[in-house]
Parts: sequence; structure tokens; C-alpha cells
Amino acid sequence: MPSSIDILWFIPALPLLAAFIGAISTQRMRSVASGSALSAMAVSFGLSCIALKDALAAPGVHQVNNFSWVSVGTFNLQLGFLLDPLTAFMLVMVTFVGFLIFLFSTGYMKGDENYAKFFCYLSLFAAAMLGILVSNSLLLTFICWEVVGLASYLLIGFWFFKPEAAAAAKKAFITTRIGDLGFLIGLIWLHSISGTQLFYNNGEGFLETINLVEATAPALFAISAIGILLFCGAIGKSGQFPLHVWLPDAMEGPTPVSALIHAATMVAAGVFLMARVFPLLEFGSALTVVAYIGAITALLGAVIAVAQNDIKRILAFSTVSQLGYMMLAIGVGVWEAAIFHLLTHAFFKALLFLGAGSVIHAAHHEQDIRALGGLAPRMKITFATFSIGMMALAGVPFLFSGFWSKEAILHGAHTWSVSHIPFYIGLVAVVLTAFYMTRLMANVFFGKPRSHAVEHAHENNWVMTLPLTLLAICAILLGFLGTPAFPWLQAKLLGKDLSGALEFGKIFEGPGLMITSIVLVALGLGIGWAIYGFRKRERFGDADPLEKRFPGLWSALEHRLYFDELYAATILKTNSLLASFSDWLDRWIVDGAVQLVSKLGTLLGFINRDIDEQCLNAGFNETAEEIRGIGNTYSKAQSGDVHGYLRVMAWGFVAIVILVSIALNI
Amino acid sequence: MNYSALLKAFMPEAILVFGALLVLTHDLLGGRGRSHEYRAKIAAALGVVAVCIAGWMATTEFTLGATVDFLANDKLAFGARLAILTLSGLTVLFIGGTSKVKNPAEHVALMLFASSGFTLMAAAQNLLVAFLAFELSSLSLYILAGFDKTRRDSAEAGLKYFLFGGMAAAFMLFGFSLIYGLTGEISLAGIAAKLPQIPLSPLLIVAFVMIFVGFGYKAAAAPFHLWAPDAYQGAPATSAALIASASKVAGFVLLARFLAALLTKAGSIEIIGASKGWLGIFGALVIVSLLLGNIGALAQSNVRRLLAYSAIGHAGVMLLAALVTGVGLELPEVRNNLLLYYVFTYGIASVGAFGVIAVVENNGGCQQLSDLASLSKRSPLLGISLMVSILSLAGIPPLAGFYAKFSVFETLLRRSSIASAQSLDNVIFWLVMLAIAMSAIALYYYLQILKQALVVSPDKDQPTTPIRVPFMAAVSLLLCMITLIAVGVYPDLLMNLLK
Repeated sequence: MPSSIDILWFIPALPLLAAFIGAISTQRMRSVASGSALSAMAVSFGLSCIALKDALAAPGVHQVNNFSWVSVGTFNLQLGFLLDPLTAFMLVMVTFVGFLIFLFSTGYMKGDENYAKFFCYLSLFAAAMLGILVSNSLLLTFICWEVVGLASYLLIGFWFFKPEAAAAAKKAFITTRIGDLGFLIGLIWLHSISGTQLFYNNGEGFLETINLVEATAPALFAISAIGILLFCGAIGKSGQFPLHVWLPDAMEGPTPVSALIHAATMVAAGVFLMARVFPLLEFGSALTVVAYIGAITALLGAVIAVAQNDIKRILAFSTVSQLGYMMLAIGVGVWEAAIFHLLTHAFFKALLFLGAGSVIHAAHHEQDIRALGGLAPRMKITFATFSIGMMALAGVPFLFSGFWSKEAILHGAHTWSVSHIPFYIGLVAVVLTAFYMTRLMANVFFGKPRSHAVEHAHENNWVMTLPLTLLAICAILLGFLGTPAFPWLQAKLLGKDLSGALEFGKIFEGPGLMITSIVLVALGLGIGWAIYGFRKRERFGDADPLEKRFPGLWSALEHRLYFDELYAATILKTNSLLASFSDWLDRWIVDGAVQLVSKLGTLLGFINRDIDEQCLNAGFNETAEEIRGIGNTYSKAQSGDVHGYLRVMAWGFVAIVILVSIALNI
Repeated sequence: MNYSALLKAFMPEAILVFGALLVLTHDLLGGRGRSHEYRAKIAAALGVVAVCIAGWMATTEFTLGATVDFLANDKLAFGARLAILTLSGLTVLFIGGTSKVKNPAEHVALMLFASSGFTLMAAAQNLLVAFLAFELSSLSLYILAGFDKTRRDSAEAGLKYFLFGGMAAAFMLFGFSLIYGLTGEISLAGIAAKLPQIPLSPLLIVAFVMIFVGFGYKAAAAPFHLWAPDAYQGAPATSAALIASASKVAGFVLLARFLAALLTKAGSIEIIGASKGWLGIFGALVIVSLLLGNIGALAQSNVRRLLAYSAIGHAGVMLLAALVTGVGLELPEVRNNLLLYYVFTYGIASVGAFGVIAVVENNGGCQQLSDLASLSKRSPLLGISLMVSILSLAGIPPLAGFYAKFSVFETLLRRSSIASAQSLDNVIFWLVMLAIAMSAIALYYYLQILKQALVVSPDKDQPTTPIRVPFMAAVSLLLCMITLIAVGVYPDLLMNLLK
């Protein structure tokens, strides 16, 4: 039996194969496309579990499988695969959540005419995402990173006939590209310093040699700068401030896409990357930047989420906020807590999105929470599972996974020696999270139906409720992998073996930190219920209670603090000015030169052809005509013209002999 | 002499000849009264099987005694044989389904005969074997070029090719006999050992140049290129594919061997006489080929002539690669790869392009660029195949043609920066710069082809009916595409084969 590091590449390769099958499937072969996508994910999940088992057997070891990709002279570019607990946990999460979302999609996309294409894109996305996870080379990561971007573009714009979807796809692609540029520059800079792209290579990967670098000022500067440049990529992909604007718009894609890409997996790629290159970040001073950006994003996302009315947009902003938490955790140095939160978040956010999808599907594509309402008795399974997801997100204590992972982050932020500001921002965001989720629940599931479609809503069939149920179970159970009493997950991630028994005492360690956060969660839930629970919305058109009280603030929040408008006024303006200048330059200066050269080239070409064909070929063609024609002129024509034609060859020979003789001085 | 070992060494050629005879026999006995299409398919299938077995045989190890010095048993021969057989196999596949010539079985058989000549050329280590192999392949190719007896320009192509070939062979044989007269040796190793003891006389120079005229013809390098546009235009598309692919591989590998034997002493850079002069010759040939080929292609409206001129341009770069391989500008394990990688990937792209032309021709003519109009709509497979092949010829990453060009240029430039003789550096540097500039020009005419195939909508009088791609041709096209992409994305796949 081969060891799992040797077969690791199968995990991304299988969905890639499925994507290929999906690409060549015709309309009628829709079950082939979805079947191959589902089975590829299932097998990949199985392989991921085996890989996890192997990785956990030796958590401190980074197993690698490197190979040379291109070698040109002394320049040797290596790619490779890497297996350690970080990779393995992520693999299991992505394949499992991915499988459930694929399954959900078979129901959700049933009526779509481009069903096969949808599964092709989904599989392509999964392949690229899994490629990022198993990559042992920053370059391979970047390649997969870009493919993920492409798949995301295709999926957001899947309903490309809707102008908003097409615009959102474009926005997502371009916005993330800005971050990717930073990533690329960082990658090249890193290569020029370290000469390798490999994370680990038996002591020669750049993450291993980073500790040997002498901490001189230029080295510190370069490594900090590289760290920040790589973080730029993560800012784009993980929707961090100031590039968070694309993520909410990305909700124009089909809901399973939102669940898979823009909640559970793709946006986590940035966090994963930061965790992967953590030794590099730690060396310089990039972490401080990461921490503050994370804290700002966490607060910003939560604040804006309060005043949104689209169910998916609320969830999208909550994703922005939660990703901010993860970045905050990385910034304050507890990357294992970030990954813990990433894993729990992936499950409960996928659950919430699929729950939202279930609601939307049942309510005939109504997404506005003002028009929903009263769904709790109509969709019992969706309601129950959605509630679990909501409580996990809000951080309701003890039973739900989100509580434990958020707690780990806050604990890390509290002990950060540099500053306590991120910690306090995190606490504020806790209140807001609980508040806006309560608002969402109250509006969607309670009260009375506020539109015709909702009155006739009923529960969806099993392919949609089964994933919800499984995710809900995970959203509860997963938290117990990393409680302070028995931080098994964190220990494995850090490469330590956990020995010893449960230590319940550790739960309440620290200066009342957990008590504080429980109180804050209760506060958020309480205020939310007080405002939205007791006096439920009556009609679609009713103004929000907060809107009546603070109209100015509300409208700013509703317009997402005018970030889009700000960018339109500044960056886009500058860009279009630059574009028109380039256009002018291109049209008159560059194109003029090109036209001139091309005219010259064509002229030369014609002269050349004429010499070749008129002078040389013409003679021969005449000969050929004569050969075909009259036999008696054959010998005459042959002796005359062919000699003339072949004479070029002989003259060439003579010329070369003379040339050599001159050159060799003979 | 160990005859069983000898048989083992010649096994690929023996299989090819046996396969050719089998194809002919089967057609004679079993093909009677059958449809033309059936006969073409069976002949192509038998031919491909023969090529595959020959390829398998070529991978088996053999050892030759010290007395046998006429056959090379090295990595270059191994790689070149495999490359040639691959290209021949892909070409033969096109005959099943697209052949319109009267005797498809003879067409296939001749291709197999030609291939056996090519593989022999790739391994020849001795003047006599080299010349015999050269003639075996050339004679088959003359017939192949003029094989379509129903078309006048096919006959013209065959005749023109033959006349040029005959003259080139005469030059070459004369050169060989002069070398033999001067050194008294016919094995390349013996010649290489004797040459340094002989003063550099005008006679020796004449001998060398005569040999290079022969190779210049085979490579379609200027000024010995004049046959190429007519031959490419008139010959049946499958024959043209073979002339452009396997024939080139064989010719350049043999050229590299000759360069190694004639110009170097024990593989070092100490070229007899002075290195500068020979480099000057090569430089002149490279410059003329690059300029004539690329600029000549600009004004073409006939797609086959365009490909012929582009082949002349490529021959310039291949001469540079042969220079790297033969003169030993680079470490031994790298230099073989460069040339083989270049000619092999060029060959694959040419087979793909001519294969597309062959299929289109089966559904009406395919001479003018406008005959390709809206090809991607008439058959998506053909459109994509043509795109991959042409972009690879143009050297667009990530296709194989890019890496081929890139590695040749890179090696030459790196060499030029560490070479001891400064004048040598400048020559090489400017040659590479010219080649790069010409690559940019080449993109223009390559994109002209793609513009027709992918963008332009056809005129009213042109057919717009969908084209059905025959199964065997589709397999071959797909294999070409996969190879170009896979080898381009992961070049070490091929490069490691020869290490």
C-alpha cells in the first residue's frame, strides 16, 4: 500500500477529472456530470480521511513529495505536495463540506438548463481549492489560487444573463486580482531571496531556512515586506478590508456557490495561506498589520450586516466579519485558533447558507427578509438546523462550536503583548454578531408571512435537508475538538502530542474572559430579541425600528458605508483617466509605429516573394508546363530552365566556400 | 561479428519494412473489391501497429561489439528513434479516413519505408550507412510528394523535390568521398580522430561545405530551401506532414552527429582551425533562413506555402539548436535534449496542422487561407487542434513550442555570457536577438491562420457544412494536442527521458 503522501495528488486530480467529464457532457448527460462530480468528491473525501490518519500519526512531521517542474540551466523550479495536520484537516473539511454542497446542488439546480456546466465549474473549483491545500510550493499555490479565482468568476456569473450577476462576477475577479498582484510580487521577491518556492524540503524549504536568517535590518525589512505582500493576496481572496467589497456582491451566484465558495472554502484560502506561511510572517513585523486589518474587518462586517435586508447579504457580511476574526487570530499569533475557527465556521456557515438556500428555494427565490417571515412552522427541519447554525455563529456558549473557536481567538487576542485594541474590537463584534443574527431569525422564521410565495412555502426534499442535518450535527460536535479543557485540534496543528486527561478547570482560566464574552453574547441576543422579537414586522414596507430611531446612520450602513461609491469616485476615476491616456498613446504613438513596421515588413515580404516566385519559380513552372505539354520540347526545357533554377543552390555552395575561406584566412 | 545482436539493433527498421510488406500484401489479397475507405483504414491500422511494435523494439536495450562502429547506441539515437516513430505513427493515422489517393496501401507502405530510413539516419555512425539511410528516406519521400497522381501540382511537387534532392545527394556524396579520401576513414569516430592531424586545406573546406549543402536541403535551410514551398503546396497533406516532421528530426540529428565529428575534437569546443569561421557560416545560414522564412511567410495567402516558409524560419532556429548539440556549447546531458525537444515538438505541431489540412481537404479544397474560414464552427475539434498546433509553432506558452524556443535561446545566451572568446559571444548574442525578433514577426502570420479559422465568417460561395472528423484522424489530432500541452506545461517529462 503506498503511503498517503504519494497518493496525495489524487485528491485534487479526481475533481479535475470530474470537471473534464462535466465539460464534455452534453445537455442530456446531466446525471453523468453530477454523478462524476459527486463520486470524485466522495473518493477524495475518503483519501483525505486516510491522509488525516497518517498525518495525525506523526503531527510534527511535514511529509513532502517534491518534483522538478522546469529546469533551465541552473534554474530549477520545483513543485511538490505537502502533508501535515494543517493540510489534512483542511482537506477533510473541504471535501466533506464540498460533497454535501454538491449533493445539495443536485436538488437546487435541478431545473437549470446548464446543469452539467454548473457541476463542471464546481468540480474545477474543488480541484483548485484542494490543490492549494496539498501544495508544497508557493508557486503551485499561486497557480491554484488563480484557478480558484477563475472558477469563482465563472460561478458568480453563472446566471450571466442577469446584469447584476455579470457585474458581480467582474467585480469579484478584478478586486481579487489587485490582491493577487501583491501575492505575485511577494512570491517573486521571495524567490529572489531564498531561491526556492518550496515550503518544506527536508530542511531546505524557505519556511525551514527562515529561522537561520540573520535578523539584520534589511533582512527584516524584506521579509516583513514579503509577508505583507503575501497578505495582500489573502486580503483579496478572503474579503478583508479594504478589498471586502466584492464578497457581498458575489451573492448573485447560485446559493450553493455562495455556500461553497464565499462562505466555507475559497474565502478561507487566504486564512489558510497565512497559517501556512506563519513562520515567515512571524519573522518580520507583518503580523501587526494582519492583526489590525483583521480587527477592522471583523467590526466593519458586523456593523454593516446589521442594516442589510437580503438574507444572503447578511450572511455574506457576517462571513467578512468572521474572516476578520480569523485574520485577527493569525495576527496575534494564535494561528491554530484561526484554523480552528476556520473549520467550525466552514461548517456552520455552509449550514447557514444552505439553510438560506433552502428558504429561498421554498419561497420561490425571495431573498428579502422583509418579505419572508413565519417560516418556522412551515419548514421545521430548515428552521431547526438554521437555528443551530445561527447559535454557532453568534457564539452561544458550551454546546455550539462557534463559541469555542471564537473563545480561543479572543483568548489569544487578550494575551497579545502589543496592544489590546484588537481584543476590544473583537468584543464589540461579538455583541453585534449576536444582534444581527437575532434580527435575521426573527424576521425570517417568526411573525407572519409577508408575501404570497412564503405562505405556500413547504419543506424541501431529502437531498437538500440531509446536508443541512449533517452540517448541523457537525456545527455542534466540531467545537469539542478544541475546547480549552482538551485542545486536541490545536495541539495536533502545532505538531504536539496531547497527553493527559481532560482539564475542566482550564475552561474558566483567565480573568473572567469567558464570563465576559458569554455576557456579551447574551446582551446581543437580548437586544436583538427586544427590538425584533417582541414587536414583529407586520408588512413588507415597514421601516426597521432602528431606521426610525437613527435614519442617517441606518442609511449609511444600508449603503455599506459608501465603500463602493468611494471607490467609484476615486480609484475608478483615476483608472479611467489612465485608460484614456493609454488609449491615446496606443492609438497614435504605438499603433503608428506598429503600422509603419508592418508596412515595411509586408513590403519586404512582397519583394521576397516576387524574387522567389517570379524569378526562380516562374522558370520552373514554365518547365513543368512544358513537361506536361509537348514531349519534344521536354529535353530542351529541362536542360535550360532547371539548370537555371538549381543554379541558386550551386551559387549558395560557392558563396559559402568563399565565405569560409575568408573567415579561416586560407 | 555478432549477428543476433546486430539483428536486435536493426529490429525497429526490420519491423517497419516487414510491416510495409504486410500492408502491401494484405491490400493485394484482402483489399480486392473492397471500398477505398476500407482499404485505407486497414492499411493505416496495420501501419500504426507496425510503428508501435517498432517503437517498442526501439526501447529495448542492445549491445554491439567493438567491431560494429556503424550504428550509434546512445541516448540521442534512442530518443530520436522514438521521436521519429511517434511522428510517423501520428501521420499514418491520418491516412485512415482522409486519404483520397488511389492506392492508400502503397501510401502507408512508402511512409513506413521512409520511416525506416529516418530511424536509420538517427543512428548512423558511418558515412556509408548515413548516405544509404539518407537516400532510402529521400527516395520514399519523392514518391510520397508526387503520390496524388490526379493532381498536377502534386506531380510538380514530386519532380521539384526530386531534382533538388538529387542534386543535394550528389553534393553530399561528393563531400563524403572527399572526406574519405583525406582521412581514409568512413566511421565518424575515425574521422573525428584523424581530422585534427590534417592541415586545414581548401579541399577540406569544400568537403565540409558540400556535406552541409546536403543537410541544408534536408532541413530546408536557405539558400537550399527553394523546393519547400512547392513541395508543401503540391504534396498530399499527409506526405507534407511527414516531410515536415519525421524527416526533420532525422536530418537534424544526423547533422548534429556530423557536426560533433567534423568540427570538434573529443566533444570539446576546440574546433579545428578556428571556431569563428564555422560559426560565421552557421551564422550566415541562420540569418538567411530566419529572414527569408519569416518575411516570406508574411506575404503568403496560401496556407501550405505559409507553413513551408515558416518551416524555413524554424530551420534557422533548429540550426542554432544543432549548433548547441553538435559543437558542444553545453553540457552533454543537456544539449541532446534541446535539439530533440525542439524538432520533436515542432514535428508534432506540424503533423497537427497538416492533419487538420488533410481533414479539411477531404471536404473540399484547402489551399488558400480563406478555405479555413469559420473552421471552428464547422468542426470544433479541428478548430481547437489547429489553434494548439499553430500557437505552439508560434511559441506561445504554455505550449511546447514556447519552451523549445526558450530553452535554445536561454542556453545560447548563457553560453555567450561565459564563453572565453569575446567575438564568439557577440555573434551568438546577435543571432539570438534576431531569432527573437523574428519570432515576433512570425506571430503575425500565424495569427492570420487562426483569424481565418476562429474569427472570420465565410464568403457566400464557401461551404459552411459541418465537417465530420474521421475516427483515426480525431485520435491523432487529440494525441498531438495532448502532447503539445503536456510537454509544454511539464517539459521535464520529455527532457528527463534522455538524461
